[in-house]
Amino acid sequence: MTSGETKYRIAWEGNVVRLARLSIRNFRNFEAIDIALAGNVVLLGENRVGKSNLLFAIRLVLDPTLADAARQLKLSDFWDGCELAKGPRIEVHLDFAGFDTDEAQAALLTDFRIAGDPTIARLSYVFRKKPEVGGPPQSSADCEFIVYGGGDESRPIPSRLRRRIALDMLDALRDAEGQLGSWRNSPLRPLLEDAIAGVDHASLEAVAADLDRATKALEAFPTVKALEDGLRSGILDLAGKTHDIDARLRFAPADPLRLFRSISMFIDNGKRGIAEASLGSANVALIALKLAEFAWRRAKNERNYSLLCIEEPEAHLHPQLQRGVFDKLFNAGDPNQALIVTSHSPTLAAVAPLRAIVHLKAQGGRTNAYSLANLPVTPEDLDDIERYLTATRSELLFSRGVIFVEGDAEETLMPAFADALGYNLDRLGISVCNVAGVNFTPYVKLAASLGFPFSVVTDWDPLDGTKPPLGIARTLDIWDAYASVSGREVLSAAQRARWDASDFAAFSKAWEQSGVFLNDQTFEVSVANTPALLGTLLDILSEQGFGSVRTKRIAAWRADMKVDPAQLLAMVADIGKGRLSAKIARKLPFGQHPPGYIAAAIRFVADRV
Amino acid sequence: MSNHLALARALVDLAANAEQAAAVQERGHCVVLAGPGSGKTKTLTTAMARCLVEDVVDPRGVACITYNNECAIELETRLAALGIASNDRAFIGTVHSFALTQVIVPYARCLPGLLPDEFRVASRAECRAAVEIAYSQVFDDQFDPHDRWGFAEEKRRRDVDRSRPDWRGCNPELADFIEAYEAELRRRSLIDFDDMPLIAFRMIQQHGWIRAALRARFPVLFVDEYQDLGYALHELVLLLCFAGGMRLFAVGDADQSIYGFTGADPELLQSLVARADVRVLRLRFNYRSGAKIIRASMGALGEERDYRGRDGAPDGDLFFWKVIGDIDTQARTIGNKILPVLLERHPAEEVAILYRAAWLGDKIAAALDAKDIPYVRTDGNALIKRSSRLARFIEGCARWTTGGWREANPPFARLLSQAKALVFGGRSSDAEEQMLSSQLIAFLRSGIDSGETTHFWLQRFWRELVTPWRAIARNPQGEWDVCSEIATRTDPARGGDIALNIFAGRIEGTGRVSLSTLHSAKGREFDAVILFGMNAGALPSQRDRKTPTALREARRLFYVGVTRPRKELAIVYQDGNPSPWVVELYKRSQQG
Repeated sequence: MTSGETKYRIAWEGNVVRLARLSIRNFRNFEAIDIALAGNVVLLGENRVGKSNLLFAIRLVLDPTLADAARQLKLSDFWDGCELAKGPRIEVHLDFAGFDTDEAQAALLTDFRIAGDPTIARLSYVFRKKPEVGGPPQSSADCEFIVYGGGDESRPIPSRLRRRIALDMLDALRDAEGQLGSWRNSPLRPLLEDAIAGVDHASLEAVAADLDRATKALEAFPTVKALEDGLRSGILDLAGKTHDIDARLRFAPADPLRLFRSISMFIDNGKRGIAEASLGSANVALIALKLAEFAWRRAKNERNYSLLCIEEPEAHLHPQLQRGVFDKLFNAGDPNQALIVTSHSPTLAAVAPLRAIVHLKAQGGRTNAYSLANLPVTPEDLDDIERYLTATRSELLFSRGVIFVEGDAEETLMPAFADALGYNLDRLGISVCNVAGVNFTPYVKLAASLGFPFSVVTDWDPLDGTKPPLGIARTLDIWDAYASVSGREVLSAAQRARWDASDFAAFSKAWEQSGVFLNDQTFEVSVANTPALLGTLLDILSEQGFGSVRTKRIAAWRADMKVDPAQLLAMVADIGKGRLSAKIARKLPFGQHPPGYIAAAIRFVADRV
Repeated sequence: MSNHLALARALVDLAANAEQAAAVQERGHCVVLAGPGSGKTKTLTTAMARCLVEDVVDPRGVACITYNNECAIELETRLAALGIASNDRAFIGTVHSFALTQVIVPYARCLPGLLPDEFRVASRAECRAAVEIAYSQVFDDQFDPHDRWGFAEEKRRRDVDRSRPDWRGCNPELADFIEAYEAELRRRSLIDFDDMPLIAFRMIQQHGWIRAALRARFPVLFVDEYQDLGYALHELVLLLCFAGGMRLFAVGDADQSIYGFTGADPELLQSLVARADVRVLRLRFNYRSGAKIIRASMGALGEERDYRGRDGAPDGDLFFWKVIGDIDTQARTIGNKILPVLLERHPAEEVAILYRAAWLGDKIAAALDAKDIPYVRTDGNALIKRSSRLARFIEGCARWTTGGWREANPPFARLLSQAKALVFGGRSSDAEEQMLSSQLIAFLRSGIDSGETTHFWLQRFWRELVTPWRAIARNPQGEWDVCSEIATRTDPARGGDIALNIFAGRIEGTGRVSLSTLHSAKGREFDAVILFGMNAGALPSQRDRKTPTALREARRLFYVGVTRPRKELAIVYQDGNPSPWVVELYKRSQQG
């Protein structure tokens, strides 16, 4: 870690056990990814980019229920670009940090510290050709898998560790009903068994006797009796006397110790079974039960850390419910459990801690991963960004590229300008991000960390001429922010001094290459100074039915009076982004371009998504 | 994992003895002073089992450090009866193996420059070579490097913490010698046995996270035979327990401290006893010996102790055999007269002949051979060294092959886990375990009904197991030469070969009298014991008389011998030339 990064050190670092890093090699979509993690993981990315494969990679290391047969992968699991002749290895390495503060977790993980850093424990899965096989592997049988720790193959991971630092997969959430319905797999089972163990035998016998009476009463109804007799004789007829199973119609097994197995969850004050609940409610019930099971396992000292993996937990949940449930899971959770979810839900992404976000992106036949775990921003900046990414704006996290702008007017006009240039930003997956000021750097770090192409539209802000224009330092800071998360060289003091001395033309030309687009006046002035655009805007404004002051002003501007750009754009911003864009698209003749630096900023991103 | 019923029974057993019961229930630092036959091992194992069930929560565990592998094996067996297996939760082993497997192997690689990547334990020859090279670097004279090293070794064992002024303050030339020697070993990627606790001590002292990691895994540290364990262990205990937050449960008896030559010092145990933060419990009951023998033992020690026999226990008997003639005559007398009489009253495996040095064992062995009395030797010249894990593994394999496979005694699973520990030091991958397993089962099965004698079976053992295993071994404490040594000693050309089933009964077998040095007899007990060669001039010897410390230790050694029997003690010496301590013992035994 360079000294510049230390001030961003995450506050909870070292205080609690957590997933700290994941590396994958040659597995399915992934040629090579190495990402920092911050405990919880929210995997975002387009369909088929490999979100489930990444979850499976983690399960290869940790899932105690995964059978050896599942860990024995297939040759088709190698990344497509692998040359099998070169004997590639599929590798998954999962690093834990912060375990030293909990003595039970330390006892489990201490043997697996890595040589380079004793505060990190690494658990690994490797699938590779068997040493005795000559030539490229012909089938899965020519390969073997090993699971080990500490970066040392001779340190196998004991099953006890996988039991105690365990991963639970809630895959088909859509089958919540099925999970709750089967006794063997139900998360209710251990909880019920525990609760029933606290009831004395005599009381259970009494309940059994009551139920038996109820059953007798039921059997006494002639129609029920007839049904039961019919069924019994039917079975007897089929099976013969020696194989008869003595079938009965009952509310519950007569054996007091089995009685509780027929207990199940009911909803709506006991009126309906869980099967009749909406899918969403059943999912919430299932997640709640899973968490209760984890807590119970920890209380019983069967577990020391739980990782709950859920694929698309938003399925069937109304956005409000999503917000409530995931806010609890992420932010009010137990320090001894973490959540790994895949999601397409902006609502979920908005409540997730920003540092949990991992973005997967297909690039040139491989999927790359971008993590915000180590996003080098101050806690205040982090708060700002998290506030910014409210439910409506968290689409940013799902975009393919971003244009950063200073204010509302730019945000409103940018999609219209893009349409005028023939680009549909929505279709291209490009977000316009209004930073409401000039503090671009945290957002630039965010976009660069997520691997998004981005451009910044900002003003030169020349001041009075005695000092360098503010736009210079701002641009250089933006570069440094980008460089700090993408492994590029930050600017030296000497380089900065040279740039400070340059003029607008040279400076803005040079920085266009890096995606910073400067305007020597202000955005407002350049819009007012683009005649075709001004006319169109005035036409649209005239149709708005503004009050008398504004109406008069518009009329004066039409009559060639000098336009007050700030007033003009205040009115534009009041129209609203969507409507304005549609109107301009209709009215602005195609090819009537927006100001040049804005067009360049749009093209910069559009060409790179 | 643990067997609650067995533990409950063991706790009930101890309830009648207030000190034992208090020790087992103790939750703070605790030292149990345990005289001969006082149920020390039972107290220790019950305390460990209770601690694992009640105090220490899975996945954390306890560590138990013992004097040697033999004690470790004994403790493992006793704990297994309480349902506790030596595994991730319970470490049982010597201070060297604790240092190596729990500190150096897991963590040294995290400390760059501390040790070479692929180090192993130096052989005797390699140590000697390093001593000679270091000597030539530090001293410019023609004396014997190994004589000088004797002094250096003593300093090395004593000055564990080299940051103290003593290290360079006294005998700085020896400090240079030691450092040059260690540097020479490292240059060759070697460590020696004394290095293990020293390196571990420095790692623990300098790195708080290692201290924390050890405490996380083992919140309680048990130490058996504290008086024999020396300075390195003592410093480790001070660091881990009194500075590092582990809880200490130590057991010992300063009267039985007989390992001064390996750096032990009874004062270390006394210094623990003197601490205000340690609870001291003295076990006063001697459950082993008759009252007569207990009284005599006070004479042997030359000091009074308030040990009491069990109520209603028989008094026991003392016999003084003065033999007219030299040591050979004394040995023959034992073979002809003394032993046959004892064998009429006691099964052979309950009778032991104890002596000071292995060469005396040769005399007795010859005398018993002449009378065709079967025996098992447990001294330095024994065919199978009780303290060698490899030797005991070989013996176990022989037992399996000669019939043990039928009733799984020993079980193959145990042999396999012993093999894993020998080859990999405990940790191995599944593939490695499978390979070991198939090699081992193939070898074992091929020996069944093959009619091989021990020598030829051992040669095959060497070819089929040792050769491939030593090539892949990761256990830095290889002792593979033990196998070839046994093969050499059973060479038919030397008349040493025996049937495999006889070899197989060497340790556990019944029907054999035990021959043992006094040192090796420590911790063991028999119905009847013959002390052989208790002559003036031998006990104490000239050498013992050189320093008061050595003289006291020799006397404690005699005391250890006297306290072994339950019922009968026979002391054999030259007529008119008994050891002065035998005389004192006699006088004391005559008092009430």
